[in-house]
Amino acid sequence: MVEQQEKLLQEALGIVREQALGMKLNLDKGKLMDALKQASVMLSELRTSLLSPKSYYELYMAISDELRHLELYLFDEYKKGRKVADLYEVVQYFGNIVPRLYLLITVGLIYMKTNPSLKQALLRDLVEMCRGVQHPLRGLFLRNYLLQCVRNILPDVIEPTEPSEGTVKDSIDFILMNFAEMNKLWVRMQHQGHSRDKEKREKEREELRLLVGTNLVRLSQLESINLDKYCKLVLPGILEQVVSCKDAIAQEYLMECIIQVFPDEFHLTTLNPFLKSCAELQTGVNVKNVVISLVDRLASYSQNCHQDETSTQEISQLFDIFSDQVSSIIQCRTDMPPEDIVSLQVSLVNLALKCYPERVDYVDKVLLTTSLIFERLQLTCVEHTSAVSRQLNRLLSIPVQQYNNILTVLKLTQFTPLLSVFDLTGRKAMATSVVNNALANNTMVPTPDQVETILGMISALICDQEEQQEQDPEDFAEEQGLLGRFIHHLKSEVPDEQFLILVGARKHFMTGGDKRIRYTLPPIVFQAYQLAFKYSQIRDQDDMWDKKCGKILQFCHQTIMALVKAEYADLALRLFLHGTLAIGQIRFTNYETIAYEFLSQAFTLYEDEICDSKSQLGAITLIVGTFERLACFSEENSEPVMTQCALAASKLLKKPDQCRGVCVCAHLFWSGKSQAGQELKDGKRVLDCLKKGVRIAHQCMDPSVQTQLFVELLNHYVYFYEKGNALITVSMLNQLISKIREELPNLDSTEETEQIGKHLSNTIEHLRNRSESTEADGVSYDGLTL
Amino acid sequence: MEYGLNAFQSFFGFGQSADIEIVLDGTENRPLAEIKTEDGKKERHLLYYDGESVAGKVNIKLKKTGSKLEHQGIKIEFIGQIELYYDRGNHHEFTSLVKELARPGELIQNTIYNFDFQNVEKPFESYTGCNVRLRYLLRVTVVRRLSDIVKEQDIVVHTLSSYPEMNSSIKMEVGIEDCLHIEFEYNKSKYHLKDVIVGKIYFLLVRIKLKHMEIAIIKRETTGSGPNTFVENDTIVKYEIMDGAPVRGESIPIRVFLGCYDLTPTMKDINKKFSVKYFLNLVLMDEEDRRYFKQQEITLWRKGEKSYKGGGQSASPHQPTHLVAGEGGPKGTESPRTIGGEPTLHSPSDLPSSAFEDLQREDSSPVQQDTSPTSPDAPETVLGNDPPPPLIPETKNQIPVVDSEE
Repeated sequence: MVEQQEKLLQEALGIVREQALGMKLNLDKGKLMDALKQASVMLSELRTSLLSPKSYYELYMAISDELRHLELYLFDEYKKGRKVADLYEVVQYFGNIVPRLYLLITVGLIYMKTNPSLKQALLRDLVEMCRGVQHPLRGLFLRNYLLQCVRNILPDVIEPTEPSEGTVKDSIDFILMNFAEMNKLWVRMQHQGHSRDKEKREKEREELRLLVGTNLVRLSQLESINLDKYCKLVLPGILEQVVSCKDAIAQEYLMECIIQVFPDEFHLTTLNPFLKSCAELQTGVNVKNVVISLVDRLASYSQNCHQDETSTQEISQLFDIFSDQVSSIIQCRTDMPPEDIVSLQVSLVNLALKCYPERVDYVDKVLLTTSLIFERLQLTCVEHTSAVSRQLNRLLSIPVQQYNNILTVLKLTQFTPLLSVFDLTGRKAMATSVVNNALANNTMVPTPDQVETILGMISALICDQEEQQEQDPEDFAEEQGLLGRFIHHLKSEVPDEQFLILVGARKHFMTGGDKRIRYTLPPIVFQAYQLAFKYSQIRDQDDMWDKKCGKILQFCHQTIMALVKAEYADLALRLFLHGTLAIGQIRFTNYETIAYEFLSQAFTLYEDEICDSKSQLGAITLIVGTFERLACFSEENSEPVMTQCALAASKLLKKPDQCRGVCVCAHLFWSGKSQAGQELKDGKRVLDCLKKGVRIAHQCMDPSVQTQLFVELLNHYVYFYEKGNALITVSMLNQLISKIREELPNLDSTEETEQIGKHLSNTIEHLRNRSESTEADGVSYDGLTL
Repeated sequence: MEYGLNAFQSFFGFGQSADIEIVLDGTENRPLAEIKTEDGKKERHLLYYDGESVAGKVNIKLKKTGSKLEHQGIKIEFIGQIELYYDRGNHHEFTSLVKELARPGELIQNTIYNFDFQNVEKPFESYTGCNVRLRYLLRVTVVRRLSDIVKEQDIVVHTLSSYPEMNSSIKMEVGIEDCLHIEFEYNKSKYHLKDVIVGKIYFLLVRIKLKHMEIAIIKRETTGSGPNTFVENDTIVKYEIMDGAPVRGESIPIRVFLGCYDLTPTMKDINKKFSVKYFLNLVLMDEEDRRYFKQQEITLWRKGEKSYKGGGQSASPHQPTHLVAGEGGPKGTESPRTIGGEPTLHSPSDLPSSAFEDLQREDSSPVQQDTSPTSPDAPETVLGNDPPPPLIPETKNQIPVVDSEE
C-alpha cells in the first residue's frame, strides 16, 4: 500500500518535473501560451484520486513551487502595463476544472497585483469559482492554494483608499467564505466511503485539518480587525459555520483553533457568544477541553495584565460569565458524562484561583454548583476508581494545593458537603491529603470552630462510616498515626481556646471506636498536659489557672479512662503516670489528691489489668520510677504506695522478676521524696529489700539466672554502699563476690555466661578503681577482697 | 479546372489564353475572415456584410503579347449558393447577379474592367458544415467557343444581428424522482459569438454519487427535408464545470467563454435547405459512469463589430459580467442559493410551475460522445424534456427515455 503510494507519487512528480521544465523553457522564450498549456498538463496531475492525503500534499507542494515560477514571470511581464484581462480569460478556456482554477488563481493574483482596483471583485470571483471543485481533497488543496496566493494582498484597511480596492471587510468575507467551503469539504470526507474505514478517514481528516485552520490564522493576521469587527463579523461568521457543520471533529478542532489564534482581549469580550456556541456543539465534542483551554488561556492572561485598566473590568466579570455559561452548557448537554462536568468545574476553580486568589467565595460557589449537579444527577456515591472520582479529587485538591493553607480551605463551606459524594476510599484519600498539607506546612488550626470544621471534613479518618471496609492493619496504623500527628496541629496560642479545642477534638475522636482511640487519644492527653503546664507558667496572669488545671486533669482522667475501657491498660497506665508527674510539677490546689488518684489508677491498672509477668515487671518499674521522682505526697499517702509497691514486687510470679522487683523498690526507700523534697534515705528498709532479693535469688533453680541475679544484686549493694547507706558493709560485698566467683566456673560456657562474667569483671573493675582512689569524699573500701 | 483547360490549350498552342485576376476594392482595409473549406482546411477571405457593395476590378492579362483573344463576351457574376454534399450536382443558388464586362469581340491587350455590385443583398452567412456548405463567390467568365476562361473568387459573408429584444435566462428544475433534483440557470437564451455563458447549477437533492459535471456545446446541423433529412450532431467542446460529488444545497458556478470556440450563428431553415442549431448539454456523471444529461437550445448570433466596441457593453469583458458576483461569505449551511449567485437568480419557488421536468437516465444503448477522458464509454441519461410528470410516478420501474440525442 505504502509502496504503491510512493510509486504513484513518484510517477506524478516525474511528470510535474518534466512539464515544469518545458513550461520554464517556454517562458524563457516568451511563449506564454505554450507555457500555460504545459502548466495545465502539470496541474492535471492534481486531478488524481489515487493518492493519499499525505502524498497528495507532497504533489501539491511540488506543483505550487513550480507555479511560483509562472507567477513571478507573469508579474514581471504584466507589471509593465500589459493587460492581464485577456490572460484572465484565456486561462478559463482550459477544459478541465482543476488545472483551470489553479491557473485562474495564479493569473488572478497577478491581475489584482497590477490592478488593485479589481481586488474586491476578483477576490469574490475566485472564491466563488472554486465551488466547482466539490471533491474534498482536491477542493481543500485548491482553496488552500487560493488562500496562500492572496495572503499578502488581502485588503487590510478599514477605510478604502480606492473604493474598489476593498477593505478589511472584503477580506473577512473572502476568508469566511473560503473557510466555510473548506470546512464543508473537510466535514464531507467523514461521510464518504465505507463505514469500516472510519478510523482511517478520521486519521486522514486529522492530517488535513491544518488546511482548514489556516483560514482562521489568516483572519487573525489581519491587523485591521479590531475588537468591534471581531465581535460583529469574524467570530459570528466562524461560530455559525462551526455550529452548523454538525461534525464533532471539526467543531472540537475549530473551537480550539479560535482560542489559540485570536488574542486574549478578543476572547475576553466574546466569552458569552463563544461559550453559548459551545453548548450547541455535537454530542461527540469534548466541550470540556474547549472550555478548559479557554479558561486556562484567560486565566494566565489575566494574571499577566493586571495593570491594564480596560481589561480589569472585563476580567472582573470573567468568573461570572464563565460560571453562567458553563452551567448552561451543562444543562444543554444532557449527555455529558459526569466526569466532564466535574472537570469543567475544575477549570472554573482554576480560573477563580488564578484570577481572584482572594475570592474564596468563587471557589465555594463552584463547589456548591457541583454539589447541586450531583444532587440533580442523583449521584450519591462516587466509586473511588471511577473517572468522576478522579475529577472530583482534582476539584477538591486544587484549592488545597493552591491555597497551601488549610485555614483558607476551611473557609470553603461547600468543601465538606461535596466530600460526601465520594465513597469511603475517596473521602479518606481527600482527608489524608488535607491532613498531610497541614503537616507539611506546619499549619496550626487555632480556633475551636476551625477545629470543629476540619474534623468534620476529615471525619472519614476519625470515625467509622456507614460503609464498612477491610483495611490492612499497617495502613490503618499509618493513617491513624497521621491523625495523631495532626492533633498536635490543633493549637491555639490562647490557653482557654486551646482547652475548648481539646474538648472539641476529643468529642470527635471519642467516636472513633476502640481501635482508633489508641492512636488519637494519647496525643490529646499529652496536649492537655502541655496546656496545664502552660497555665502553670502564666499563673501570674490568670487567677483561674489553678481551677483550670484541675479541670484539665479531670479531662485527662476521663480521656484516659476511655482508653482503660477500651482495654489499653499499658497505655493508660503510662498516661496516668505521666499525668502524675505533670501534676507533681504543677502543684495546683488539691494536687496531691489528684496525683494520688492518678497514681492509684495506674496501680489499679497494674493490679487488675496487667497479667503478663514481663509487663508487670515493666509496669512496676515505671510506677516505682514515677513515684521516686514525685515529691508531692505526704507520708500518709506515700507510705501505702511504697508498701504496696514492695508488696507487689514480691508478689511477682517469677523468682527472677521478684528479685529484680524488690531491688527496684529498694530505691523507693532511699531516694523517694517527702513533700518537702527530702530524700527518705531509709537504710534499713533498703537493706531489707536487698536481703530479700538475695534470698529470692537463692531460690532460683537455674544457676545461670541465679548468678546473673547475684551480679545485679552486687551492683545494687555497691550503689547503696557508695550512696552512704551505713547498714551495708564491705563484708556483704565480699560475701556476694565470693558467692558469684564460686558459681561462675560451674556455668556452661555460653554467650550468656560470658556476659555475666563481663558484667562481674566490670563491677570488680569499678570497685578496684574506687578502692584505689584517694578522693576525700570517697567511701572506704577497706577490707574489700577482690 | 479552368486553368487546366487553358494550360492544355496553351500547351498545344491553340490560340491565345489569359489570366484573370479579380481585385476587390478596399482590400487593404477590409478585414479578412476565416472559413473552413470542405476538406477542413482554413482559408481567409475578404469579409462582407449584407447590403454592402461588392466592387472592384477585373484584370485580364493576355498570355502571349501581340496575339489577340477572341471571345463571345466577358461577364462577372455574384453568386450565393448552397451546396449539399449528398447532391453534388445541384448547387442551389439563392443569389445570382450578372454584369456584362464586354460584348463579344477581341482583346488585343491586357484589359482592366471595373465592376460594382451595388448594395448586394447577402441574406445568409457563409458556412461550411458536415453536409452542407454555403458560399459566396465572384465568377468572371470569358466566354469562348470551345472553352470558357473562368475565374472564381470567394468572399466571406457574416450576417450581423441586432440585440435580441427578448433574451430571458434559461432556468429549469429537472430531476429524477427521489434521486437527483437540480435547478440550473443560464443567464441568457441568446448569446453572441464572443459572449460568455454565466450560470449556475443548484443541487436540490443528491442521492447518487456524482463524479463530474460538464457542459458540452453541441452543434446540430440539419439538412434536407422530409425523408431525406440528415442530422449531424457535433460536440464542439466539453467543458468540465464540477469535480467531485456535491451535496444538497451546493451551487456550482458556470462560466464559459464562447469566443475561443469555432461557432457560427444559429441558422434557421436557410433557404429551406438546412439549419444549424446549438445546444448546451449539461452532463452529470456518477461514480458508475452513468451519464445524465439535459439539453437546452441556445441561440447564437453575430454581433456587429461596431456595436461590439461602442455598444452599451462594458469595454472590458472581464468586468462584472463575467464575474460571479457574491454577496458576503456563506453563513453556515444556510442555503447557498441566496449567496454568491447572480442577482438575477431566483429561488426555485419563483420558477414557473411548469418548469419542473424529468431528468432521466438511460441505462442501455450508450451514446458514445467522444473519447475524451471525461466521457468514458458509458450509458447516458437524458435530462428529459418531456411534459412534467406527475409528482408521484405511476410506476417506478418505468423510466421513459426521451429526448435522447437524435
